[in-house]
Amino acid sequence: MSSNSIRILAGNSHPALAKLIAKRLGTDLANVTVSKYSNQETAVTIGESVRDEDVYIIQSGCGEINDHLMELLILINACKTASARRITAVLPCFPYARQDKKDKSRAPISAKLVANMLTVAGADHVITMDLHASQIQGFFDRPVDNLYGEPSVLRYIRENIPDWKNAIIVSPDAGGAKRATSIADHLDLDFALIHKERKKANEVSRMVLVGDVKEKVAILVDDMADTCGTLGLAAKTLMENGASAVYAIVIHGVLSGKALDVINNSMLTRVVVTNTIPHAEKKKLCPKLDTIDVSAVLAEAIRRTHNGESVSYLFGHATI
Amino acid sequence: MKNMVLLTGSSHPKLAKKISETLGVELSECKLGKFSNHETSVEIKSSVREKHVYIIQSGCGRVNDNLIELFILIQACRMGSAKRITVVTPLFPYSRQSEKSQKKRLPQHQIGSEIMNSLTHNKETSPTMPQGVFAQSFMGMSPAENGYREWCARAGTLVSNLLQAAGTDHLIAMDLHDPQYQGFFRIPVDLIYAEPCITQWIRSEIPNWRQAVVVSPDAGGAKRATSICNKLNLDFALIHKEDLGNTKESMGLVGEVNGRPAIILDDMIDSGSTIGLASEILKRHGASEIYAIAIHGVFSGPALEIINKSPVDVVACTNTVPQEDFLKQCPKLRTIDIAPMLAEIIRRTFYGESVTQLFVHDEHI
Repeated sequence: MSSNSIRILAGNSHPALAKLIAKRLGTDLANVTVSKYSNQETAVTIGESVRDEDVYIIQSGCGEINDHLMELLILINACKTASARRITAVLPCFPYARQDKKDKSRAPISAKLVANMLTVAGADHVITMDLHASQIQGFFDRPVDNLYGEPSVLRYIRENIPDWKNAIIVSPDAGGAKRATSIADHLDLDFALIHKERKKANEVSRMVLVGDVKEKVAILVDDMADTCGTLGLAAKTLMENGASAVYAIVIHGVLSGKALDVINNSMLTRVVVTNTIPHAEKKKLCPKLDTIDVSAVLAEAIRRTHNGESVSYLFGHATI
Repeated sequence: MKNMVLLTGSSHPKLAKKISETLGVELSECKLGKFSNHETSVEIKSSVREKHVYIIQSGCGRVNDNLIELFILIQACRMGSAKRITVVTPLFPYSRQSEKSQKKRLPQHQIGSEIMNSLTHNKETSPTMPQGVFAQSFMGMSPAENGYREWCARAGTLVSNLLQAAGTDHLIAMDLHDPQYQGFFRIPVDLIYAEPCITQWIRSEIPNWRQAVVVSPDAGGAKRATSICNKLNLDFALIHKEDLGNTKESMGLVGEVNGRPAIILDDMIDSGSTIGLASEILKRHGASEIYAIAIHGVFSGPALEIINKSPVDVVACTNTVPQEDFLKQCPKLRTIDIAPMLAEIIRRTFYGESVTQLFVHDEHI
């Protein structure tokens, strides 16, 4: 009986991250080609045997999300029909995570749909990072590992923000308060919150700061930065209330639309994102952007899953 | 029709509008678009509670986007307590399973450059660059090096499972490439045929149709062609591709077309290479006029160019795929309207009437 090995397959969403993960695990990416037929249908060709292997498919929910989602589903299905022993879908950024509840009539719960699709395609296990709402794990019948970027964020703050002991952690909205207080407790810092006051619907809302940021370095913490409208306004509010500098740290840097212009014109000193979503091109256009590398966290999770070791160690400790 | 709701995705809104006009049921208002991060956004504006919902979406254009949009529409209706959800796909996506031995349909990174060059008659054009980052790295590796024969994934079962997982209760599909595909589903599938529309078009648009020969461009489509021959009482011919290995093929004609109009019949025109080669052979064998009829006119890549340069006189396709742009680029192209057929199917399934009636008594269409 030979033991099986780790096979890493990557789609087209984030090849750079996949390469880093493979390098960290000391293996090569599997020989897979993902492209399109002339009529725009996705074509997947697997160039090596995955029979009875432990397969990890790395695909992030970014860029052309629907194309990448179909690529992931077809890759999973292809490995299933090729008799892989176990198929794990590694999604650093989970697609459609923000459509997770029926907040108005006939609204789709697309996160549940994606969970169904992954299960139907044949995924046995899902590894993801900082789900928008951790309850999304309940949408799956299969085991889900929701990793945290928090240890890496804490390490970044300690190593890269000068005068961090005199900083204050700020949540840019009420929903992220729990995340921000957790970081504040770990670093033994104070906490503040920005509250959007809506006088009327569709009116530019006023941002109210709850807490004291005078002469302190303010660190905004959120899980996702998309159009960055909230972050820009929050930075302005913090500076008006006496903060000495404003940093923003987010896990998933979607940065779509005019986000880069908003950041460049804002009062933010630096915006830090992890590499769950590729942004090498965006860094050239926005000098305020900095990166936290989380490939080590994902690689460790893969290694521990394969060896059957505990993954919860990673929830509290940053990888070396 | 008070309990019927008609919804359309963004793949073929014009066809949906025609269907709604024929049925006398207005399309329900539905806002479709994309969020700034390219996620699909769907907002259904009117109630679907306890209604029978029909969703019309074709697998054309940006196939993956339209497919995910379809799944989200189905899910939204399910969450809105729809009584029953029927999906109508004029062209079913991912319906062709790639067979390695056929070599008919290759991903762009594998198409032999000589074949493409000869068809476009232009030695300067190079084959389209493969899309996808890993294509380049893969191109350097041949099967012989590691002894493993690579294989192409077949997405057929996956798409059928995904549709069922999203919450479809019933599927209406037109002319699936493989009729056995119905067996992949647990839910009832109604396969409908464009054949009555095609026979009507032949009788009205081809002047000397009684002398015509119906030609199948490959062995796989012979059954489809003979079915039309029987209905119209015409002769039949077949073009046979002989595989000589190493992408070399020789095509021969089985049957007589000398001095008679030839009607090439296929289910889909995608790259246009089959029609191009078939029409050359028929011309060589003395066909007086050459017509090409296909159900799904996908026309990807240089297909229209190939058709414009080939000896085909008239090409007719149904409007399962939007045809407006193609009509502008190809003067030989005509459209066969199947909206009335689809509307009739929807009406009959809604009222629980027989659908096979449509295909037995085709003189009434």
